[in-house]
Amino acid sequence: MANGQTTMTIKKLLFAALLSGFAFGAFAADKPADKAAEPPAPPPSMGTEYTDTGADTCLMCHVEGGDFPVHAIFKTKHANRADKRTPFAPGNLQCEACHGPGKKHADAGGGPDGINSQERSSFLTPQQRNKYCLECHQNGPRTGWHASTHDSNNVACASCHKIHAERDPVLATATQPEVCYKCHRKERADFSKPSTHPVRFGKMACSDCHSPHGSTSTGMLIKPTVNQTCYTCHAEKRGPFLWEHAPVAEDCTLCHHPHGSVNPARLKKNPPLLCQQCHSVAGHPSVARTPAGLPGGGAGGQAFLLAGSCLNCHSQIHGSNHPSGVKLMR
Amino acid sequence: MKTSNQLLLLGALSALSPVAVADGPAAPDTANWKCESCKFEQGVSGTLDAGVGSVSDKSSEFGQYNGLYKKGGYFIGGTSVRSRGADGAYWNLDASDLGLDTRSIGAEGGKQGSYKLSFKYDETPHRIGNDALTPFSGNGGASLTLPAGFATTTTAGMPLAASQQQVDLYTQRKMLGVGASWNRTTQWEYAVNFRHETRDGNILRTGGAFFVNTAQLIEPVDYVTDQMDASASYAGRKFQMKLAYYASKFSNGNQALNWQNPYTPIVGETAGQIALPPDNQFHQVSASLGYQLSDKTRASADIAFGRMTQNDSFLGSTQNAALVVPGLPGTSLNGRAETMDANLKLSSAVTDKLRLNALYSHNDRDNQTPQASYPSVATDMFLGTARTNLPYSFTQDKVKLSADYRATSRLRGAIGADFDSNKRSYQEIDTTREDTAWGKISSRVTDKIDLSLKLAHGERRNTGSFQVIPGITPAENPLLRRFNMANRTRETVGLRADIGVAENFNLGLGVDSSDDKYEDSSIGLTSAKDLSVNGDLSWTVSEKTRLHFFANHQVIKSRQAGSQTFSLPDWNADNKDTIDTFGLGVKHAAIKDKLDIGADYAVTRSRSEINVNNGAGNPAFPEVTANLNGLKLYADYRLKENVSLQAGYWHERYDSKDWMTEGIAPATIPNVLTLGLQSPQYSVNVVRLSVRYKF
Repeated sequence: MANGQTTMTIKKLLFAALLSGFAFGAFAADKPADKAAEPPAPPPSMGTEYTDTGADTCLMCHVEGGDFPVHAIFKTKHANRADKRTPFAPGNLQCEACHGPGKKHADAGGGPDGINSQERSSFLTPQQRNKYCLECHQNGPRTGWHASTHDSNNVACASCHKIHAERDPVLATATQPEVCYKCHRKERADFSKPSTHPVRFGKMACSDCHSPHGSTSTGMLIKPTVNQTCYTCHAEKRGPFLWEHAPVAEDCTLCHHPHGSVNPARLKKNPPLLCQQCHSVAGHPSVARTPAGLPGGGAGGQAFLLAGSCLNCHSQIHGSNHPSGVKLMR
Repeated sequence: MKTSNQLLLLGALSALSPVAVADGPAAPDTANWKCESCKFEQGVSGTLDAGVGSVSDKSSEFGQYNGLYKKGGYFIGGTSVRSRGADGAYWNLDASDLGLDTRSIGAEGGKQGSYKLSFKYDETPHRIGNDALTPFSGNGGASLTLPAGFATTTTAGMPLAASQQQVDLYTQRKMLGVGASWNRTTQWEYAVNFRHETRDGNILRTGGAFFVNTAQLIEPVDYVTDQMDASASYAGRKFQMKLAYYASKFSNGNQALNWQNPYTPIVGETAGQIALPPDNQFHQVSASLGYQLSDKTRASADIAFGRMTQNDSFLGSTQNAALVVPGLPGTSLNGRAETMDANLKLSSAVTDKLRLNALYSHNDRDNQTPQASYPSVATDMFLGTARTNLPYSFTQDKVKLSADYRATSRLRGAIGADFDSNKRSYQEIDTTREDTAWGKISSRVTDKIDLSLKLAHGERRNTGSFQVIPGITPAENPLLRRFNMANRTRETVGLRADIGVAENFNLGLGVDSSDDKYEDSSIGLTSAKDLSVNGDLSWTVSEKTRLHFFANHQVIKSRQAGSQTFSLPDWNADNKDTIDTFGLGVKHAAIKDKLDIGADYAVTRSRSEINVNNGAGNPAFPEVTANLNGLKLYADYRLKENVSLQAGYWHERYDSKDWMTEGIAPATIPNVLTLGLQSPQYSVNVVRLSVRYKF
């Protein structure tokens, strides 16, 4: 109870602090300009004119080793001139295809005004910045980017992608999770738990299950349902079996935590309590298994509690195709 | 879908008024855009890695997925090569872990914008345990045998010392994939990909039961899964679409696992047979499209029709020749489930500040497997009542509506409502409906502080009353409410703060909480809570040194109730998992352009507390604990411009305690012959030294 009260107090404090923060944010935004000061500068805006010489203009300042190096772009697919779709193909807009008309930015000698920097600090909203990317990349999984979870949460393309890197870390299995963990901190901890999918071992990426560019399934999965996603690697559990276990056919995550768990096989809870959440028929399934069932505890019933517990006998928990498998024991 | 949901959806759609397409800046004359300063990549470049490593101890748990499960040396080999031609021709070759069974080789080539060919070979081990003890012979195969005269009434009397052997439990996946894509025009792309994956090994099969006696068995794994994707995509400026076909075919080299009964037969049950996962297939055709109705309004939709089939030959009802069993209704199941998944989504920036979104999704698994009455033999011992199979079907309809409002450049708010309806066949509850309302506010408090808070409240209610399923015997306690169908109130809170304390110092904090109450469940899960508090910081200490820290504290709690007397609840249980994770990483350029060093230290500690209270004053179970400590040190020393030396040291220590397995030897439980698997413990050191050559 004390813990509960403490948790409630912490929640209230956090809530109050947060509301204060939001109020301050709204106030800060609406604060009138100091009357005694100079007239405020016009708000930053995108330029409307392109540069005279395209990338050659940009590269006069954006030199190798400078504060804003860009040259690695020429090692990427965006700079393949033979591909007519790319920004650097003849006749295309080069740097300004993604960053917008750059004359205003160049004439000002740089700075954030007039250009889509694609950075978090840009005066453009993430949606406005993303529009430049979606001009070309609205196909494939990005068809449903609009109003996806990431879009709605103001994730910009450049929040995850490094366009100017020779190798974009988010596109490689071993390095992708670190990119996702920037926002998904809880998931980093999940994959450090004793039982996990092999993400922290570099053998599995978040995108093996999730479609970060937009998916209408629960959890932005690569397939329309949880189970269809799981079956891409666990087709042996697909069936349909003669004797199905209803929750297994419905949703693997009813029993398993896909990211990680303290229990073996990523189970949300260990048997017998896991099973007793849903099974309370007369006889052994309904019996409370207490520490008296431990070795030396004095009570029998160790077979129901230890080793595999319920699975000591009902091992066909994912379904059985055996004619006598109705109890998932064959 | 309920009428009210349809009305809501229509209402939202009507609000999505098209807005005229805005004119962009005038197209420039690019005649003088020579790109003379552009250093387009040409030729072949890459890296080659070669070296050796050494692992101090054998441990399945340490090496469960990284290939380092054996004691001794291993070869370090890898490469990354890329070639760029002037005409868009290119190829890449990447290989890693060549000396381990985590090896991976990938190649891709073609002419960008025209065609692409790809190849992938990848191995993934899963080492499960290297201390399994079993008296059975033939492990890894489909038939497990015992020495003559082995069977006794209890495990204590079994001649284990003379027959027991140690077996590794593991699986090894090997995936071979090839693919091709062709861009017929800049807008049309056709692609096809094949993946052939084998999975071999031995896994724990936790039950070979004969009434009250059982044995843990080792199950052979000899799986093959072939998958194919084929698609045709069109990407226009306003309209995009994709037609696709997906096929997945699973085959198992073993249809059944047979084993001899280690216990003294009572009614002739000298052997048992268990079905292994049957061969099955899944085929799916899908179409997806997106359409830009206007500059500010977009619609997308997709639909997929699939069919799962399974028609493996039936095994015999029993291995017990003394039983006379009626014939089966057929030789195979002819199992078939049709799937249909559809989505429709619209979003519109109604004004510069307001965006409306609407989504409808439908997921259906219609199990059309024929029902029949099957004679049933209980654990090869007793002829039971014939049982009829229950092909479960599920239908989910979901409507999600939301509005996003940007009040100022620093303050945004969003509200939404989700309406979720689930129908199930052959279950105690036919239909559940869950309505969730949520709100989110996010603010850039200052240029350096971003805050967001999301609150959601969901209520799930079932329609109709609890019903007894005739095909399920014995019947469940009528007070039981399965948690996936029970009435539930769910409150969730998500809080996030990102603070740029200084230009070189960023701090992130987050709280996620979920609180479920199953108010009408007197038996079953009655409450569940999950609270996570986390933070991370990154600090660029100097031009040479960067530091990163993260921490997460999570508590997962639940309470459930049961009835030992098949009536009112007379016991309850509390489960509490506490998990703490933290890590610290540092990177330091010790000698500029010459020597980089770094270290990562990570700790995970978990403990599970379980209390089962049946009114007899039971003590708590011993805590289930796991502690993982890992330290990685690494250095990269440039010997020459194109040659560097890479060294690494990795120490990892793990200890765990779990009363389910701790001290449980094969003969500890009189009627369960276990494999004697223990809670994993290890302390392993790995050193590695390799040379990287750049060209």
